[in-house]
Amino acid sequence: MTVKKIAKKELARLLDEWSRQFSVLVPSVETGVAQMTGWQGEDTSFVDWYRNTILPPKDAILPVMEEMFSFSKNEDGYRLEMSPPDSGRQLIFGIRPCDARALAMLDVVFKQDYEDTYYMRRRLNTVLVGIGCTNPYDSCFCTSLSSGPSDTAGLDLMLTDIGDEFVIEAVTEAGRELLDKSQGMRPATADDEARARESRDIANQRVTQNVDVKKMPDRLLAAFDNEEYWRKIAAKCISCGICTLLCPTCYCFDINDEVSDNRGARYRSLDSCAFCIYTKMPVENPREEKWQRVRNRVCHKYEFYPRLFDTIACTGCGRCIRLCPVNWDITRTLNSIPGQ
Amino acid sequence: MAIDEISNRKRFLAGDNVYLPHIAVIEKIIEETPDTRTFHFSFKDEKLRREFSFESGQFGEFSIFGVGEAPFCISSSPTRCDHLEFAVKRVGRVTSALHRLGAGAEIGFRGPYGNGFPLGYLEGKNLVFIAGGIGLAPLRSLIWNVLDKRDKYRKIDIIYGARSPADLCFTYDLDSWKQDKTVNMVTTVDKGDDSWTGREGFVPQVLEQLAPSAKEAVAVVCGPPVMIRFTFPVLAKLGFTPGQMITTLEKRMKCGIGKCGRCNIGDIYVCRDGPVFSYAQIRDFISSEY
Repeated sequence: MTVKKIAKKELARLLDEWSRQFSVLVPSVETGVAQMTGWQGEDTSFVDWYRNTILPPKDAILPVMEEMFSFSKNEDGYRLEMSPPDSGRQLIFGIRPCDARALAMLDVVFKQDYEDTYYMRRRLNTVLVGIGCTNPYDSCFCTSLSSGPSDTAGLDLMLTDIGDEFVIEAVTEAGRELLDKSQGMRPATADDEARARESRDIANQRVTQNVDVKKMPDRLLAAFDNEEYWRKIAAKCISCGICTLLCPTCYCFDINDEVSDNRGARYRSLDSCAFCIYTKMPVENPREEKWQRVRNRVCHKYEFYPRLFDTIACTGCGRCIRLCPVNWDITRTLNSIPGQ
Repeated sequence: MAIDEISNRKRFLAGDNVYLPHIAVIEKIIEETPDTRTFHFSFKDEKLRREFSFESGQFGEFSIFGVGEAPFCISSSPTRCDHLEFAVKRVGRVTSALHRLGAGAEIGFRGPYGNGFPLGYLEGKNLVFIAGGIGLAPLRSLIWNVLDKRDKYRKIDIIYGARSPADLCFTYDLDSWKQDKTVNMVTTVDKGDDSWTGREGFVPQVLEQLAPSAKEAVAVVCGPPVMIRFTFPVLAKLGFTPGQMITTLEKRMKCGIGKCGRCNIGDIYVCRDGPVFSYAQIRDFISSEY
């Protein structure tokens, strides 16, 4: 497919150009927490400081909270009104390969069987422009999961940093069209492509954390009923749910009604399998114990989801390791499954 | 359940959006016990009222606007579709709000979801229905379904128990099944009162005493988890194989369509793959979280 390049000093202009067709999101620390926020113009310094966002970009498609529909009552009874979609198309610029790959995993769940209106209407209006990682964290382990810092899965366009310029590669047809229409692009030379390859190789080598995923579903299955192991693994977890909310492949949600000022609405909000009330029914709770919940989280990623969809539902982004308040580490869990 | 099998099932989406409920009107409320009520309801939309169909054992997400949604099985039979019914025991927030509703109130309904009881598999068999408390609700849909096509099935036993005479649900059904000469109806309570002249004892014990034959039979069980746990071993003792035991599981099914995540038992999603399972399936689940 098409390979082009653009100078880094041209980037602001390119984002301005794209802003005319898309609502463009870029990495930002404006709120104090690194996340994707609306492009404000000019400042492209994120290119230098940005390794990955703290909040995963899934928020642009599966928000922490969203209104599904509103309801009002008059003499004829209730009237429901579906909440309008976000206006227009969006482009996430600078999404990391791990997070783009994660969206492809969410797509499967939200598309299968009954299509999820709210997820799909945002997803189909989203273009993903990734930047390959050059400076992965110590906690990244994407290379263990048939991926890596330059994986293009799920992306429309992929940028590779070659110093003063980015090499831009179209991954999908939508990406190629966008690239062809964009101003200021120059064809990448053989030398540029060689530098891009070199940059990718270096990044790949910088991912040093490893998990052994060979025969993972079966190995986890064999350890599933080992309560002693799971109790030990779960001991220091404080069930805060941070790992699930920051995980790019976690998608569990809750549905609740809110009423204020004579206006009612039904909302969807992210939920977490780490919470005791998540599965609680009035009388029974199938996962009342913390070790059962930790086991469910690990096994959902590495055993249940793979059984259903043939791929591990973890992209090795490392957020759950970097941002856990008690230093719980999934790679240690996966590497210590008994009976290996 | 294969996904394409679910996909081929009839759907009744409001505005092409699976989360948008249909508006239904409560038409009648029956006080079953001090804490359980049956609600008769009909869809407000005339076309949907005509076209709606479901299978015994399927459930819906019922909602009170401003309070929230909760899953309940449809407790009426698809063979009697002039109105629909669901039964609610008052145990939590949504159920308490439902109990405060009067006739004429409007509720939301999404569904039907889940798989339903395997009617084809039950045909030509001797059927043993075993229920406890509010667990009769999904079974009652199936029982009426079967009785309305009586000649398709053979011997029918119904064993129903509750904690006390006051806790017996659907007593009007129990009476008609008692009078039905083609049904062997046995009612029991854990502990009777002064006026109780019927049987006393827990459901699994009564089942063991009655000892229905496992030959060409299927047992369909629904009740509190503790009752189900003690009933399976008794059935096994009577010669029922795991494939001859069917039950329906309860989970906190929020979305009802296999997405929100919380009703999983290993890689099984109760809302999507169930709620009806044979004991042979349950025995093979990765997890015992049911």
